[in-house]
Amino acid sequence: MSINSNIKDLENKNEASIKVDDVSFYYGLDSIEDENEKKNLEPAVKNVSLEIKKGEYIAILGHNGSGKSTLAKLISALELPNEGKIFVDGFETSDEASFEEIRKKTAIVFQNPDNQIVGATVEEDVAFGPENLGVPNPELRNRVDDCLKKVGLYEYRERESSKLSGGQKQKLAIAGALAMKPEILILDEATSMLDPISRDEFLSLVEKLTKENNMTLITVTHDMNEAMRVDRAIVMEHGKIVMSGLPQEIFSSEEEINRIGLELPQHIKLANEIARRTNINPVTEDYRSVEATVDYIRKAVSENPAKSSEAEENSESSEKKEEPKVIMSVKDLTHTYDNRKKPVLDGISFNVREGRLIALIGKSGCGKTTLISHMNAVMKATSGYVEVITKDGKVLNSSNKKDIREIRNNVGLVFQYPEYQLFEETVYKDVEYGLKKQGVPEEDRKKIIEDTIELVGLDKKLLERSPFDLSGGQKRRVAIAGVLVMKPRILVLDEPAAGLDPKSKKEMFKIITNLKKSGVTIILVSHNMDDVMRYTDRVLILSDGKTLKSQETKSSFKDRKALESLGIKRPVLHELVETILNNSDDEELSGKIAAIKDYSDAVELIIEEGVKA
Amino acid sequence: MNTEISLGRYVEGNSLLHRLDPRIKIIMFILYMVVVFSVSKSIVLALLALCIMGQVIIARLPLKVIWTSITPILPVAVFIFLMNIFTIKQGDELFKYGVIVITTGGLAKAFIMSIRLVLMIVSTSLLLTLTTTPLKISDAMESLLAPLKLIKFPVHELSMMMSIALRFIPTLIEETDKIMKAQVSRGADYDTGSFINRIKGYTTILIPLLISSFKRADELAIAMDARCYNGGKGRTKLNPLRINETDIITGSIMTICAVALLLLEFYL
Repeated sequence: MSINSNIKDLENKNEASIKVDDVSFYYGLDSIEDENEKKNLEPAVKNVSLEIKKGEYIAILGHNGSGKSTLAKLISALELPNEGKIFVDGFETSDEASFEEIRKKTAIVFQNPDNQIVGATVEEDVAFGPENLGVPNPELRNRVDDCLKKVGLYEYRERESSKLSGGQKQKLAIAGALAMKPEILILDEATSMLDPISRDEFLSLVEKLTKENNMTLITVTHDMNEAMRVDRAIVMEHGKIVMSGLPQEIFSSEEEINRIGLELPQHIKLANEIARRTNINPVTEDYRSVEATVDYIRKAVSENPAKSSEAEENSESSEKKEEPKVIMSVKDLTHTYDNRKKPVLDGISFNVREGRLIALIGKSGCGKTTLISHMNAVMKATSGYVEVITKDGKVLNSSNKKDIREIRNNVGLVFQYPEYQLFEETVYKDVEYGLKKQGVPEEDRKKIIEDTIELVGLDKKLLERSPFDLSGGQKRRVAIAGVLVMKPRILVLDEPAAGLDPKSKKEMFKIITNLKKSGVTIILVSHNMDDVMRYTDRVLILSDGKTLKSQETKSSFKDRKALESLGIKRPVLHELVETILNNSDDEELSGKIAAIKDYSDAVELIIEEGVKA
Repeated sequence: MNTEISLGRYVEGNSLLHRLDPRIKIIMFILYMVVVFSVSKSIVLALLALCIMGQVIIARLPLKVIWTSITPILPVAVFIFLMNIFTIKQGDELFKYGVIVITTGGLAKAFIMSIRLVLMIVSTSLLLTLTTTPLKISDAMESLLAPLKLIKFPVHELSMMMSIALRFIPTLIEETDKIMKAQVSRGADYDTGSFINRIKGYTTILIPLLISSFKRADELAIAMDARCYNGGKGRTKLNPLRINETDIITGSIMTICAVALLLLEFYL
């Protein structure tokens, strides 16, 4: 470190609330003794310099493994830099004497709601931080009550914390952080395990609370929609800062964002697609808010004649095909948990036809997971049953004990976060497990396993590795392979993209569409309506375990009010197009908007309608 | 998945016994255990039963709850009753059939022994499990064991461990259920097959559970660090245990009853 930079440190002490000065960090550097090995160690954070002012709202963006979470831990003194220095409000993190001061000033909310709650009851958890600081009563009691009221959990204060919903748990974590009266709040992917509705609610709450108290807010995320809300965004890749600036500056470089494996917010993407079809310039640094971008698109369409459409017409939709045959049939299914009066599922009936990709949607807690657990009989129905029709037309019945094994061979079920079910020493053995249980002879297994691992987009070399050494996205694909080896004809997936960064998510959906092409019938549980819009043929809407509506995807998102009453938001893209076309009551147009599947559909419709107007 | 798990069958309520300081409850629990095991005269036993019935009324617990806490030990009580009635031969002969002889003394003893057992269970569940949350018991233990800190016994750490365990039990039960379903979907079978095979099958649950528990522990430790946890030193408490007048009066009355029963037992 040069003398110059030290002088600069002193100068900046009072201006910047956080100052990161040429910091590098290596995981496990201290535990390695061999010098050569030390040299080969890849840094998690490399030569990062950064200043954050008091009260600023910053996003640190990057794909999984880019070093963004490590940087957050370095700032809150949970890790110490190997090279360089970090100052928080003038205190250096490497200085042991200032540890407590820094941790008092910085509060951090982590990704997994379950793994950061310490207290057995809600109020005990909020009190944990201030108790550690030695805050006496009655101030302690006042702080706890006050923070619980701020996040809207006051009525739950005596509840067991483990019984809260995911969204409530993250709010509890915020209350626990606020109770320490921090100056800096860091969200370390705090929203990635929440459904879109809880996510918006959570972010708005945090923004309001930090603004009120003039706190610095740093959000670490791979979701560009969050970046739209901040004052300044920083993009990291391989431990380095590769972009930094106003969100709109970052949005204006689409290619770079895509290369890094992130994804632009949908309104910017749509604007760029429009720009490509008309003759005007793509989105520049002037666009950030949805409103400004909508105006831009309107202007672009009205002033510039569109180039003739090059997209080929989709002809298959007009043809009336024969309906494929029924492969699974749920009949009057009811499930009541032991200690409840009200059934979770109350007389559900529907058919699933072969070869389709069906979305199962409904708000959190409406019984989706319970419903899919009956599809391969891992849960026993209180009444009613599920029928599965085999290849040779045999009808299997879930209430018939003898059929259960065969049902499970036909219906593969992948629960949420399936990476947590891996248990073998090697990927090969883990994937093999189901085959062994099916009684497939050993000599046949190898080929099936290799084919399956390729099907999920993984390298065969990984087969001999331990599944626990892989990245999160890879682990998930191994877990899915473990179900696919059993060659299910119906595959049920519960939120297969939850928590994945944009790149891994895209790959996941590629696997799913490939599976569909190969003839597998797929049932997909999802909270992300844009995914549902893009990838599925039909939609099943479950509300309160009772009514179940089955519709074609293209007509599912027509009625916004009806959907909202079920706790479902329309796809963002549909909302955008509707705003751009200023549609309020034109039934026909609503139908056209609801039929949009991707950006090119949206562009077509906007240009067509725009030209008409 | 909503799995309702209640630990130790705590029944929510706001009665005098519910509010009683858990430390006093633990001391009373020990005292009444002594009484239950000392009592052998039927008249004193009847008085003790009345005294405990009084506590049931004060706790405003439904009798059904009390009954469900007794049912598991009823077979044992019956067994003890039969053992006593057939083996003890004192007093007058009441009944004789071959080797089976029932005497008045045996009958009395059988009654006393089995009723004692029932009273013991009622008293324990009344004072501890039914009216006190596990968290409060853990708090009370920390407070009662505090003197042991002098000999460097890690009282705070133990109580922190206990409360974290209580916090995570429901989470882990839920996770076990999830993993089990996932493995069943992959063809695992936990109900059939040989004993060894079934044990082997459980490793498919235990290993993922263990790995995720370590991950949780790791993340929790960081989260606790971030919230300035630094051991028990200088910590304050949101709900400190405080003994008020009602606690003293209730405790005194219960003590007087217990002592009176003991005096009656030994000097009557």
